[in-house]
Amino acid sequence: MNAADPIIKIRHINKYFGSFKALDDVSLDVAVGEKVVVLGPSGSGKSTLLRTINRLETISSGSIIVDGHDLYDPDEDINRIRMELGMVFQNFNLFRHKTVLENLTLAPIKLKKMDRGMAEEMAYELLDKVGIRDRANHYPIQLSGGQQQRVAIARALAMEPKIMLFDEPTSALDPEMIGEVLEVMITLAREGMTMVVVTHEMGFAREVADQVVFMDGGAIVEEASPDSFFDHPVHARTRLFLDQIL
Amino acid sequence: MSDQEKKIEIGDGAAIPDPEDKGLISAWWIALVGTVSLLIILPLLKPDPYARILSFVPDGILVTFKVTIASISLALVIGLLTGLGRLSKNRFINLIASLYVEIVRGVPLLVQLFYIYFALGRIVRVPDIVAAVIAMAFCYGAYMGEVFRAGIKSIDHGQTEASLSLGFNRRQTMAYVVLPQAWRTILPPVGNEFIALLKDTSLVSILAVADILRRGREYASESFNYFETYTMIALIYLLITLVLSRLIANMEHRLSHYERR
Repeated sequence: MNAADPIIKIRHINKYFGSFKALDDVSLDVAVGEKVVVLGPSGSGKSTLLRTINRLETISSGSIIVDGHDLYDPDEDINRIRMELGMVFQNFNLFRHKTVLENLTLAPIKLKKMDRGMAEEMAYELLDKVGIRDRANHYPIQLSGGQQQRVAIARALAMEPKIMLFDEPTSALDPEMIGEVLEVMITLAREGMTMVVVTHEMGFAREVADQVVFMDGGAIVEEASPDSFFDHPVHARTRLFLDQIL
Repeated sequence: MSDQEKKIEIGDGAAIPDPEDKGLISAWWIALVGTVSLLIILPLLKPDPYARILSFVPDGILVTFKVTIASISLALVIGLLTGLGRLSKNRFINLIASLYVEIVRGVPLLVQLFYIYFALGRIVRVPDIVAAVIAMAFCYGAYMGEVFRAGIKSIDHGQTEASLSLGFNRRQTMAYVVLPQAWRTILPPVGNEFIALLKDTSLVSILAVADILRRGREYASESFNYFETYTMIALIYLLITLVLSRLIANMEHRLSHYERR
């Protein structure tokens, strides 16, 4: 694989929930270090698309290749591929029975056989990075939503993934907590992380995205740089969407 | 209340006291004080037969405990496997587990005890107490399976997804993420089943196992003190279940530490 090859290659994927077509012939490339923001009305299939990238959602047809690994090749180990893909969920999904520190160290210790001391050292560094070191020994339920989401980002980073997937990371947050989470994501973007972000945060899309993808009815309607997407949308549906939310 | 705080209610054991309830005037305290008082006062006032019953029965308490602990241990293993089987996407495993639960639920425990005891006797010679334990575990394993199934299902699917997304496989996810959390939901009904099982072990007295009830019956049939004997037996069972229910409540309280803000 040469450096110019996209790290995520999605080719003509379709996905049905029963007879409902959730994804309709979607193709997308994400280059190393690229930040792709996926926008669209609810039910447009954007979360479903994101979740196919680490196979939390399976596809009905098409192919997805992540870092050279075909997600549907029976010889590939999906669990290994998932280690390369950090994921952040709308509802944080922190392990409720583990402290913040344990949330970060569980996977490195069990999956990478890292020794506890090293894992904790790395966990503290990550907690510093997301600004929440002082809560290391708290349980998730004792944290605010914004804090939980920052821990969730740190937990994903603890596996040192090559790609980070964000599934509406700020949608479940109170407005005053959205900023602190976006800040962490912007820092991550500046550091060169490859990111695919499903969000409704237009400011974030404009500031961070290299490529904006607009979905509607399970299909990609428009793909553009943020400037041309927001300033000169081509498709009528894109314009309608932007009119409604801006 | 969030989804994860839902409790599974299965009520055939004993009332589990609320660990937050520190008041002295609770049903639990009244029952405990009453039971202990009667167990002390009756033998003092009327040593014959009460004190004699008390000296005759304790061998049986040990047997009851042995049968209970062995049965519950085996039932927990069967229950975990059954619960996982009932949740399995593998049709065959699912069918076997469901069939087992259906059969056990539809046949009275006493009939199952007789059946397994005599069926087992045709195949292998095992001590009576072992046959009794197998029969009890076979029955309670099915109930335990339903408890495990409900407990596992009560854990938010997001926990599983988060675990999978980190690279854990399904088995690791179950072991590190789902079961440790499910255990807290499962413990109250398991405690309940434990107490129910302890009481139901009185049924094994008909299988020539010398438990509390069997010892009591032996004493009563020799002395003809039926009323006094069964009074003492009832009090002994009550004392045991009262103490156990409090222990379980405390354990439950300790396990819930991560739910407290």
